[in-house]
Amino acid sequence: MPDGSFAHPQQRQFNPYSENGGTILAIAGADFSVIAGDTRQSEGYSIQTRYAPKVFRLTDRAVLAVNGFAADGNVFVKKVKQRLEWYRHAHAKDMPLRAIARMIQTMLYAQRFFPYYVYNILGGIEEDGSGAVYSFDPVGSYEREACRAAGAAQSLVQPFLDNQIYFKNQQSLPGQSRPLHLPLPEVLSIVIDSFTSATERHIEVGDGLEMYVVLAKGRSIQGLESFRGVQELTPNPDGDRVFVIRRELKKD
Amino acid sequence: MFLTRSEYDRGVNTFSPEGRLFQVEYAIEAIKLGSTTVGVCTQEGVVLAVEKRVQSPLLESSSIEKIMEIDRHLGCAMSGLIADARTMIDHARVTSQNHAFTYDEKIKVESATQAVCDLALRFGESVHDEEAMMSRPFGVALLIAGVDENGPQLYHTDPSGTFVRYEAKAVGSGSEAAQSELQDKWHKQMTLKEAHVLTLRVLKQVMEEKLDYHNVQLAQVTSDKGFEILDEVRLKALIEDM
Amino acid sequence: MDHFPTSWGRQRNDAYDAYNTYPLHQRPNPGHDAFADSVQHTQQPIVTGTSVLAIVYKDGIMMAADTLASYGSLARFKSIQRLHSVGTSTVIGASGDMSDFQYLQSILDELIISEFTEGDKHELGPEEIHEYLSRVMYGRRSKMNPLWNSLLVGGKKDGKRFLAYVDLLGTTYTASTLATGYGAYIALPLLRTAVEGRENDLTEEEARKILEESMRVLYYRDARSLDKYQIAIVNDEGVTISEPQKLVTSWGFAEGIRGYGAQTQ
Repeated sequence: MPDGSFAHPQQRQFNPYSENGGTILAIAGADFSVIAGDTRQSEGYSIQTRYAPKVFRLTDRAVLAVNGFAADGNVFVKKVKQRLEWYRHAHAKDMPLRAIARMIQTMLYAQRFFPYYVYNILGGIEEDGSGAVYSFDPVGSYEREACRAAGAAQSLVQPFLDNQIYFKNQQSLPGQSRPLHLPLPEVLSIVIDSFTSATERHIEVGDGLEMYVVLAKGRSIQGLESFRGVQELTPNPDGDRVFVIRRELKKD
Repeated sequence: MFLTRSEYDRGVNTFSPEGRLFQVEYAIEAIKLGSTTVGVCTQEGVVLAVEKRVQSPLLESSSIEKIMEIDRHLGCAMSGLIADARTMIDHARVTSQNHAFTYDEKIKVESATQAVCDLALRFGESVHDEEAMMSRPFGVALLIAGVDENGPQLYHTDPSGTFVRYEAKAVGSGSEAAQSELQDKWHKQMTLKEAHVLTLRVLKQVMEEKLDYHNVQLAQVTSDKGFEILDEVRLKALIEDM
Repeated sequence: MDHFPTSWGRQRNDAYDAYNTYPLHQRPNPGHDAFADSVQHTQQPIVTGTSVLAIVYKDGIMMAADTLASYGSLARFKSIQRLHSVGTSTVIGASGDMSDFQYLQSILDELIISEFTEGDKHELGPEEIHEYLSRVMYGRRSKMNPLWNSLLVGGKKDGKRFLAYVDLLGTTYTASTLATGYGAYIALPLLRTAVEGRENDLTEEEARKILEESMRVLYYRDARSLDKYQIAIVNDEGVTISEPQKLVTSWGFAEGIRGYGAQTQ
């Protein structure tokens, strides 16, 4: 108002949320799953750190990627891990992937009116040995999918995945069939391409890349052996196996 | 052993100098007065059978309910104070539904059994200024039957909150004779049909009245059909086959 | 009948959660605090400190902060200590609201004492202090009643160097160079150029020089800063917080600046 008064009473309120950038992505194969995220954490135009992991191993067959408000993300992962441990004590087994997915939905929805500002992508191996990806919104809507990207560069990466994984907008030659699932080496190169491209075009993506690979029990490491710097995280090669591959991304 | 009542009989949560909780032991005694209940586990599924004591010709025998469903994959037979069992079954049902809601999977038979047993020793507990939730131990034993990822299983629970897994178990007034009969006749390759017959034969042996479809109840839990109480037609047929 | 084991043995409240909608592990929080409505929460910081800088070097970590606490644009308190040692292997530095920081100091001092009285010879190191602080900060932001600070936590325990950040939102991260507030814009690029890749080679003298130079740049550019600052060092010998020292500055260059200010040509 010209006289210096305000038409409506104003209130400045504390904003309990922030956005910390970065991007995550997961792709399911027939008997494997790849879950990846960059390691940059930022706020506004500032890079807070070049190494803050967003992808976490939960069990021998489940990996969770979290993106959004980092403080909520870290707390959420901590709580999920705590619940997994309680479940192990109560039921004498690791929580199956679809049970983790449902539990994450109930945990997110429990905070419906003060949500965790976090997009979750859960990847791993189902009880039937198939590769799986579950994606969530911040209040718990979830579905199982073949692939999903989330975070700052979702709008750059998801169309690319739609094209490469679901073959959207591709004409197929007559008589040529499209695979339901891609082989591991192809999936890994799609993941790497996704992140190098997102790094080029999005200021909040970069610094480092962490790719987790979950292999179903009994599957050979075929497709991983040619990869440089593969590190196995599971102690038992007879069960489901989790590997991590780290790559540098541009830091500018 | 129970002829001399002592001061350790007064508090439900007071140990005797020999290290016993008398009220719990009395509760276990109460079960031995209950009607005979039998459970038999096979590779195809679990069979539960109970004797219904029809004390009067005017009594509607179908109103006696001693086998109950906990969930689609869980059933329960009881012996002792049936009213007490309702609290426990109610708890098991809620726990099972809660598990299904939270984890999108069937609760394991052992976990459901554990949940029921968690209740058992909570008698006499109270918070400052409040009545205790339960005043005495449950006077009932349960046979919990179910099928989960580990196959068909049968658990026995008693008022002390102890639970043990059995291949075949009898509880109630005729349990001693019934248990030794089960020990004789049970074998690993038993079919579900054989288990039906075995439970009926065991009940027949220990029952005072002549066994017919009015005074027994039979139920089974299988992996494909889950929990079901056998109806009159199937029960009659089985009794004839026996 | 209450079906939730976590509620057993606690006060009952049938008016609350009558339909058992809470999952097993969670305990509904009954009752409403009648006074809560009239409790005021911090909406803004009042007396504030500006940047804190910290780097990792060969023997440990080093942290720097000036001694000013401002009241808006007023330089209100000119010898406030913003670096604080916690236990024998940790130091914290705070920017933001100074009363909230002093409250945190008292919480941490109590924590250290209560851990000491356990008598188990177990001491909280920088990692534990940082985790604890982040719980406190996140807990308070979740109650919409934040402690209005950005804090750096540094230290060295069992030969391991540690440097991390936590703020009023509960956001955390670690890096070999950290800065809060204005320092994140002005000093951090200088620190990263000077430190990154040389964390295991930098001597104490070199580290001190890097921080001093950054503090000087901040004093030139940050209107809420002061030329009096302290440096904290955590190495194998423990925590040392220096006496306040003066920055040597020269403003002669200002004479040559044209285009704004009092000059007319």
